[in-house]
Amino acid sequence: MSIDFYDQIQKFVGLEAGTQDGHDEVNQAMIRHWVEAMGDENPVYVDAQLAAESIHGERIAPPVMLQAWVMRGLKHRPESGGSPQDDLMNVLDGAGFTSVVATNCEQEYDRMLHLGDHLRTRTIIDSISDEKQTALGTGHFLTTRVEYETLEGEPVGRMLFRILKFKPGTGRSVSTEEESPPRPLRPRPALNRDNQFWFEAAKEHRLVIQKCSDCGVLRHPPRPRCDKCGSYEHGAVEASGKGTIYSFVVIHYPQVPSFDYPLPVGLIALEEGTRLVADLTGAEASEFKIDMPVILEWQDLDPDLTLPAFRPVKL
Amino acid sequence: MTNLTVGEQLTPIVIEKISRTDFVKYAGASGDFNPMHHDETIATATGNPSVFGHGMLTAGLMARVLTDEFGPEALRKFQVRFSKPVWPGDTLTFTATVTAIREEEGKTFVDLECTCSNQDGVEALNGSATALDQN
Repeated sequence: MSIDFYDQIQKFVGLEAGTQDGHDEVNQAMIRHWVEAMGDENPVYVDAQLAAESIHGERIAPPVMLQAWVMRGLKHRPESGGSPQDDLMNVLDGAGFTSVVATNCEQEYDRMLHLGDHLRTRTIIDSISDEKQTALGTGHFLTTRVEYETLEGEPVGRMLFRILKFKPGTGRSVSTEEESPPRPLRPRPALNRDNQFWFEAAKEHRLVIQKCSDCGVLRHPPRPRCDKCGSYEHGAVEASGKGTIYSFVVIHYPQVPSFDYPLPVGLIALEEGTRLVADLTGAEASEFKIDMPVILEWQDLDPDLTLPAFRPVKL
Repeated sequence: MTNLTVGEQLTPIVIEKISRTDFVKYAGASGDFNPMHHDETIATATGNPSVFGHGMLTAGLMARVLTDEFGPEALRKFQVRFSKPVWPGDTLTFTATVTAIREEEGKTFVDLECTCSNQDGVEALNGSATALDQN
């Protein structure tokens, strides 16, 4: 994502996306469609007589139906001259983020809605995320805040609604397992007599560091001879799993099918003093920083391969 | 004072084999006609194995667990995250568990954690809610 595009979409944050009036008042026919779709048999929504005898004194609308009273429907969005929300959707569509899926909804209710209530919404663009790689595809999360009130101005509720606008076909899990070829395994380590102990320990979820049996110096990656004293005698100690990011890269290209991208890879300075290369997990690629404290997390990648990864320490 | 206790589960709702017809009924009831939820051709062209359910249909079904227990007027706050799509044929189980019971200005509020899982135990929705307890 270019900085320019990010700036362009961030300009919409905080804008009032306009007011909209419900096409119709809260009415019995739409309530009936709703409760039938929900299989909700509570008579207070549909039975005038029973509702009259209830604490409500009249029929009410199901609370979660709030959103439906001011639904815009599938009308064509104006290419220009629409609301800021229309303009933002056009900008995202134009950049290829044409698909939409709802991800979160938060509703608050001030009072029950009754037949004849006529609602109006005021919509504010609350936030737009930077570009995220999600299971569905690459996209931006867009959050709107919607205030519901009657045409007379009485607040009745509010809703925070988050959608993902994404590029179709860029996801990881869009196709079924039958259709997609099995994911290739990670490349195999080149095992030899000098480094085998390290990978065997990893399978047991032990991160070990080679140690010179004569001078006691720790070394990684494993090798036959001590750099300091020249001894060929060595053992190993177990690392605590704590360290900091000494350096890191985020790999975008070339992509190997057995990895997820963007792929953050760190050079981790262990608290014991040696460094090792490992995947970084537990945060967005953009969130890793040099000197960030990290902690070991094992990745059991397949039956024959377990590798260490490191995630940020939660402070 | 409520007769619920923290950790208690409300009566769950199970929807057996949700269908395309259920999605279409919800589209008509809500006015949400995003074709991904009813037009198989468009849904598969964008890489989906089939159409999938509206998040707000799952949310509406989830809310039934709460309104059945407390009454529609008691629901104060309801927030959900749509974690995985709901596919035609899925059997969905909606559960709500009491996480806290609070007294505020002489009223009793019940906080709950909400979950919807499919037949494979995959979570399609999670969320939370606050209801006024009137018992």
